[in-house]
Amino acid sequence: MLLSELTGTVGRLALVGLAKNTGKTEALAAILRERQTQRRTVGVTSIGRDGEARDVIDNRISKPRVLLAGGSLVATTDALLRASGLPHELLARTGVRTPLGEVLIARLQGAGAIEVAGPSAAAGVRAVSEVMLAHGAEQVLIDGAIDRRAASSPDVADGLVMSTGAVLSNVIEEVIERTVAAVEIVRLAQLSDPAVLAAGVGARGHSVLVREDLEPVALAPRFVLASSAQQIGHLLDEHPSGRWLIVDGALPEVFVRSLLAAARPRRRELVLVVTDATRVFLSDRPPEWYSRQGIEIRAISATALLALTVNPVAPRSHRFDSVRLRELLREAIPDVPVLDVMHGDYAEFGAPSAGQR
Amino acid sequence: MRRQVDLTAVSPYADHLGDGLVQMSFTLPVPYSLAARNAALELAAKMGFSEPEVVHYEQLTEGYSYFVMYGRCTETVDYTALHADGFDIEYMSDEEIESYAAEHVGRQIVVVGASTGSDTHSVGIDSMLNLKGYHGHHGLEGYRCFETHNLGSQVPNSALLAKAIEVGADAILVSQTVTQQNLHVHNLTELVEMVEAEGLRAGVILACGGPRVTNELAKELGFDAGFSKGTYPHHLATFLVRELVARVSAAG
Repeated sequence: MLLSELTGTVGRLALVGLAKNTGKTEALAAILRERQTQRRTVGVTSIGRDGEARDVIDNRISKPRVLLAGGSLVATTDALLRASGLPHELLARTGVRTPLGEVLIARLQGAGAIEVAGPSAAAGVRAVSEVMLAHGAEQVLIDGAIDRRAASSPDVADGLVMSTGAVLSNVIEEVIERTVAAVEIVRLAQLSDPAVLAAGVGARGHSVLVREDLEPVALAPRFVLASSAQQIGHLLDEHPSGRWLIVDGALPEVFVRSLLAAARPRRRELVLVVTDATRVFLSDRPPEWYSRQGIEIRAISATALLALTVNPVAPRSHRFDSVRLRELLREAIPDVPVLDVMHGDYAEFGAPSAGQR
Repeated sequence: MRRQVDLTAVSPYADHLGDGLVQMSFTLPVPYSLAARNAALELAAKMGFSEPEVVHYEQLTEGYSYFVMYGRCTETVDYTALHADGFDIEYMSDEEIESYAAEHVGRQIVVVGASTGSDTHSVGIDSMLNLKGYHGHHGLEGYRCFETHNLGSQVPNSALLAKAIEVGADAILVSQTVTQQNLHVHNLTELVEMVEAEGLRAGVILACGGPRVTNELAKELGFDAGFSKGTYPHHLATFLVRELVARVSAAG
């Protein structure tokens, strides 16, 4: 299957990389090529910068250009739109200021390469997508940046493509392990019990501990950001039947660790409930590990993970065999398609759709 | 009479205009020897320098040689074709910042800063925030219009964010030494993502600074501005007051 076929049904598609140089922009370029063949109008925005000639940190790494068809919609800055030299119709000024200038939305009147730099913040991305969909984009492609995930929140995107690759580690098993952990976070199980949600959700500005009898206990402001294991221990002792902790905002790993340290000697099991996966900040252990220790993490809503793409090459370092990397990933994550859009076997898949014209 | 600079063909200047002379230094992983010297000369020639010359070389440590060289650069650039993009803002003086803030903000602007993660360097954040400042320019602490909280170095993102919420920060300032291996980049993106996760992104100005931080990098990281070498506190202060005023007026 082509990446564009796997992602064809969603209105707002986010592309997220697990690190820099995992081939996210190549995945975007593949979708753009395929959509052009299908004569479908896309809108493109980036929470970072895309289509730049050189890597922003290591300028020895050259980057793929972003080639847009005439008629495409794009969100980028004033200066970058001008620098592209492409004829365009200005559709909207967004008022969103970035370090590279104000973001404009334009319809290209000719095909060509352009550097894309749209709003960085989730609210800005959401607004820009709405404008592009209203102006006739059949799909908005939201490109991520570095390892940022905010654009993949269900508030912003309806579907998600994740890019991973050799750059994560020079040991292939570690690449698999880290990819599995990231996929686990994106696909956190949803909290199915509406009674718990009804008891605990809706309180803005503080998190809530929900007891077995569904009584909510409001926690101190910033409890999840700043509490020590000792403070968490006090809370657990005060509420022996506290079972669900509905987190308002970010869930940092240090809190999960402290909660575990407090819960274990008390033989308590708890469920942490987050709004969605973009609120979870785990880098030491995957959710599954905490789950085995008695701390479950659940999400209220999720963005569908539609495909994984791999870049078997770590620039200026090492490379893996693409086929083997994809096989190992498929074994570890059987229900998500894994693609390498730069590999010869992807082009074979591409051939039939080129023949459809 | 002063020679006119040809801005369409700019080249390095040493003794006289247009001589193209460059001084450079580098280390080669070879033992200190005449062969090492020849290697350095050949390398400089390959870099495109004409008349390369080794003016100093010495053993750095066993198996490594350090060179100082001169060479003549034969390339030029068309300066007139270049333009600065992004924030090419005119900086205000201390007094201008104070009066602009008094007129348009009318309260103290709360700034929380730190070196985050494992970064032990606090000199960057100290020179921006602390009264002592940098090169005779006092830090934000010395302005009447700023209330500053400097949390120091090795601050976890969650602690920085908790403090920012507690004091109602208008801006969060982090300094990081970004390396080519981009070890510290994750710390910077994580902070941005946590601010988003807390639903605070629209209300907080995020600025990052460090030796390799450019506006391009800041954009990719999701910050509102990036500050690098050569930044003085009044540059940062100008950006903060202007950005805050722009946000307030945009929000109506």
